[in-house]
Amino acid sequence: MTQDSPQGAPLLQVENLGVRFAIKRGGLFGEKRYLYAVDDVSFSLKRGETLAIVGESGSGKTTTALAIARLVDAYTGRVRVAEQDVLGIEGEDLRQIRRKVQFIFQDPYSSLNPRQRAEDIVREPLQSLTETSSEDQQKIIDRLFASVGLRPEQKRLFPHQFSGGQRQRIGIARALATQPELIICDEPVSALDVAVQAQILNLLRDLQAEFGLTYLFISHDLGVVQHMCDSIAVMYMGRVVEYTDRRSLFNDPKHPYTTALLSAVPSIDKKRRAEMKRISIHGDPPDPLAPQKGCHFANRCPMATDTCQQSQPALTDKGNGHMVACHLVT
Amino acid sequence: MSDPLLKVQNLRIELTTHDGVVPVIDDLSFELAAQESISFVGESGCGKSMTALAIMGLLPEKIGRVASGSIIFDGEDLTQASEDRLREIRGNDISMIFQEPMTSLNPVYTVGEQIAEVLRAHQGLGQQAAWTMAEELLDAVRIPNAKRRVSDYPFQMSGGQRQRVMIAMALACKPKILIADEPTTALDVTVQAQIFDLLNDLRRQTGTSIIMITHDMGAVAEMSERMIVMYAGRGAEIGGVDEIIEKPLHPYTQGLIACVPHILATVSAERERLLEVPGIVPSLREFGKDQCLFASRCPVGTDICLQKRPPIETDPSGHSVACWHGKDAS
Repeated sequence: MTQDSPQGAPLLQVENLGVRFAIKRGGLFGEKRYLYAVDDVSFSLKRGETLAIVGESGSGKTTTALAIARLVDAYTGRVRVAEQDVLGIEGEDLRQIRRKVQFIFQDPYSSLNPRQRAEDIVREPLQSLTETSSEDQQKIIDRLFASVGLRPEQKRLFPHQFSGGQRQRIGIARALATQPELIICDEPVSALDVAVQAQILNLLRDLQAEFGLTYLFISHDLGVVQHMCDSIAVMYMGRVVEYTDRRSLFNDPKHPYTTALLSAVPSIDKKRRAEMKRISIHGDPPDPLAPQKGCHFANRCPMATDTCQQSQPALTDKGNGHMVACHLVT
Repeated sequence: MSDPLLKVQNLRIELTTHDGVVPVIDDLSFELAAQESISFVGESGCGKSMTALAIMGLLPEKIGRVASGSIIFDGEDLTQASEDRLREIRGNDISMIFQEPMTSLNPVYTVGEQIAEVLRAHQGLGQQAAWTMAEELLDAVRIPNAKRRVSDYPFQMSGGQRQRVMIAMALACKPKILIADEPTTALDVTVQAQIFDLLNDLRRQTGTSIIMITHDMGAVAEMSERMIVMYAGRGAEIGGVDEIIEKPLHPYTQGLIACVPHILATVSAERERLLEVPGIVPSLREFGKDQCLFASRCPVGTDICLQKRPPIETDPSGHSVACWHGKDAS
């Protein structure tokens, strides 16, 4: 479990984070309604480790990450990076935080400016977030290009001259430019071909070992997550339903949703297929605009009882820091 | 076994590009038996979808053509069939579902109307009969409350439901072959599991053969009995799914299996480095050269690989591989 280490507080601390979006309904005088995209989310992440957030589309993974990076506004909660509050700061303080928190985006095709040369894309955060001299900037760029496996002569090329994997390397170099403390990887490989995925995943792990990077890793691919992370938070309908370290989650999943999610992953492992009976969950997640009062998963849960329909379970420690939000897990 | 349902022999498909005429499918042969499920695997740009389009007679007009070889379906050569005959076969005998269920449905018609249209066009059903049948089909693909949902528009349905509508439409005329081109790539993993279960059940009930196109070895293992690994327009390896996953002979197949972090039954502390397949699929200009097109990325490539295209060798069990060093692997 990522609790406070002897060296001090964790690098990233998220407490009771909430993000909501106002929905226009009923014209001018209509009641203002909110969609709670992220609801009471808490976790922490130690320096040099990787925390994965998994969940289906619409579960709030990306919104959580965007709120941490101050790219959407949270309405409640607290986010601390390196013991500094992130929410509520403005101006120069915010610029300093942006230097410390960088983002690697999902789609390497749309996240690079098509009119900039590769080296200028990597230089941009240095110019806007740091006071580095242009001489040093060039040195940093040269070093980064080597680190991410691009050739020096490729610095002058434009994004369309690169393949998808190479573009993602540029995106990674850009994220590393300001020597951030925390890198948020939002589905960094899901737009890439399988063979290229492995190249990028290995690169991310190598860079982590080399520079001691801390990743917040968002993915829906549980195989990738199993390979990359140290701890995992499973999200469903904006809430964390299970949060623990890598081995506990995959070897001993406790929440019915996690179990179902794991059993749904197609596997080439014959033994796993035989052992793991698919727990099918029916239907789709309920309408996020009309939340139920009980557990959000209750209507799809194979084991739901009356209690589940009535009250929302809190995320509690079920032993050894294995946090689960379920009435039925003791 | 009697004659196979579909027999593709020495198929060569040429595309006219700026760089001249290139063979996007180069000497591909395979068979599909009734009720069998076969998968095409490979990276993007290897000719998987092009093969499917050729079977459907939907090659891009003026640009693509079948240069040689034959596609024998039920004793009839589809490469020689007239456009009218092909239109009869499409939908009636062979139908297809696509990757993106949103863009393949017409947003301004109800889903019921879109299914009914297929029935009216191909089976000559009347207005009322077609509508009733559409309801039954929606029910068969397990859309809850089919009677009401049949009047829904595509935007009122979730991604999984839309894909179910596509399946209902494809199965409307009880085709002998269903081609599924990455049917679950755009869907969440729990929904993917539901779609796989549905396709497997429908195959059992209706006896439809399935050709699936995917890049996910796990999906292949769950869905198919045999697989065809495609590389740069050529069949690299063909054989039983279990056999290939256990003992892949072609270095490309080995790479495809090893480069993906597969989800494991039990997770231990150590994580092995992913095997990388360096580089990317060659550009169309390289296609058709008399050499092994994988040689530049291959860990075991030698001089002969660059001099001559490897012949396809088949062992007694029907496991064939096109590699100069395929024997060494076993």
